[in-house]
Amino acid sequence: MRDISFGQYYPVKSYVHNIDARIKILITLLYMVSVFFITSYTAFAGVFLFLTIVIAVSHVPYRTVLRSIKGLLFLLIFTAIINIFFTSSGNPLLQIKIGKLMINITDQGINFAVKMALRFSLLVLGSSILTFTTTPTELTDALEVLLKPLTYIKIPVHDLAIIMSIALRFIPGLMEETDKIMMAQKARGANLDSGNFFKKIKAMLPVLIPLFVSAFRRADELADALDARCYNASNKRTKMKVFKLKSTDLIAFFVFVAIVVLIFLDKYLVGAFVPSPDLGSFEVQGLDIFIYNLLLKIKVLIV
Amino acid sequence: MAVVLENVTYSYNLDEMHRIDAVKNLSLRIKEGTFVALVGHNGSGKSTFAKLLNGLLLPTSGEVKIFGNSTLDGNKIYEIRKDVGMVFQNPDNQMIASIVEDDVAFGPENLGVEREEIKERVEWALSKVGMLEYRKHTPFKMSGGQKQRLAIAGVLAIKPKVLVLDESTAMLDPQGRSEVLKVAHELNREDGITVIHITHFMEEALDADRLIVMNDGQIAFDGKPREVFKHYEKLKEIKLAVPWETQMAISLKKVGLDMGSGIVNEEELVEKLCQLL
Repeated sequence: MRDISFGQYYPVKSYVHNIDARIKILITLLYMVSVFFITSYTAFAGVFLFLTIVIAVSHVPYRTVLRSIKGLLFLLIFTAIINIFFTSSGNPLLQIKIGKLMINITDQGINFAVKMALRFSLLVLGSSILTFTTTPTELTDALEVLLKPLTYIKIPVHDLAIIMSIALRFIPGLMEETDKIMMAQKARGANLDSGNFFKKIKAMLPVLIPLFVSAFRRADELADALDARCYNASNKRTKMKVFKLKSTDLIAFFVFVAIVVLIFLDKYLVGAFVPSPDLGSFEVQGLDIFIYNLLLKIKVLIV
Repeated sequence: MAVVLENVTYSYNLDEMHRIDAVKNLSLRIKEGTFVALVGHNGSGKSTFAKLLNGLLLPTSGEVKIFGNSTLDGNKIYEIRKDVGMVFQNPDNQMIASIVEDDVAFGPENLGVEREEIKERVEWALSKVGMLEYRKHTPFKMSGGQKQRLAIAGVLAIKPKVLVLDESTAMLDPQGRSEVLKVAHELNREDGITVIHITHFMEEALDADRLIVMNDGQIAFDGKPREVFKHYEKLKEIKLAVPWETQMAISLKKVGLDMGSGIVNEEELVEKLCQLL
């Protein structure tokens, strides 16, 4: 598989690339859910460490992975600030008066905001590992297999998968065509890249219209080609490729399940046995309690 | 008989009042195993003819029969499509998957063929068109000729008895055209597949068993290519040119050289000229 020039896929060979796409999708879903169960800073650090190791094993450069978070940096900071301003519980640190509005900035608010930002970046980083190491084709094929149970409630999973795979197939062609049309319009004196935002959008119209016309023509021809190749001829459609689980897939899965178990232990078990330190309405959670106690002891020793 | 058309008419409705008959009262029989070239100018109805063969279009009147099954019979339509494989003009618009072998497997998968047999068919079809080594590649950066051979492989995997090439060489460069033609002739010779090659390049019809010239929805000429080429003047009237070698021979004849008749390619022309010297 080469020449896949779109999407995020990073074409190298690695253990992570090699894991079955179904397993990777399952792991990613499970990961996204469990990220919301991470409560202590210790657990955050642990999961970050885990991701760092996974990225190292996948041979995708750190810089490339980090780029995926760059575009979302604004959203990240924005949600963090909102969290700081609108959390009223916890011990107040600062009070800001804006007109009649009193805004309390509390230690708990900052705590929430930082954790929210961490959670968010974990989500983006983790899911981008999936798209970096799995080709779009593998993704659609795997999704088709995973969604198969939905056929029992009459959702046309196979048709959806075909639509997705055709869309993926036509992206490079359409991009090439857009380039051609843009060049053709430029050759006739079209001014596509100057002026303000609205002018630019308006200037794109003579590019979009031919592009749409040609896309519809393609669709028409493709429909004939699908028919000519007996699409829908049989209800019992077969598949040439079957997904077969390798032992390495299972190992990857169980390693990940172990991590999820640790996250849950951290959230529910530690707090149940070890009393949380009394810091007013500020909460210390999970393994952070141990760290806090440890720091306290060190402080006592030093003093 | 592989293909039988009986008084077939197909009309497009432009609006309530205007209709255009793309194919007019056409009757035709094609024997199994023949290589038929169908030539016609733009708008002669040749593409409509192609689409009538596998039921993509249904005749307005008359009947199209493929190995005895009428395309009007809704129950037989998939059997007909299984028998008549069709390759279209633009190789980019007939591929479904991003990987060669997945694309070739698409047809047999639709038919519910067993997995092991699909694998065999994919290998067979790809080796028939000489593309086996590309099975794991993506078609995106291939040449036109390669893509079109791939499209043929996709159709072959359905194991058709008739292969229709609907202007499949029109968008290709000369090398791509000869690649596709070579594959079509091999399939005809080695596997006994009936080939209906629709084109507007007269010289591509040279090696066909039978040449049908269409004009204005009807058959203008039907016979062995060399016989049809003799009607070069009438062919010219319907905007079709005979191969340049034939034209050359005709022009030389006009200025008084004894060129005989029936010269269709370079070798024959050179030989004749040498004889005269």
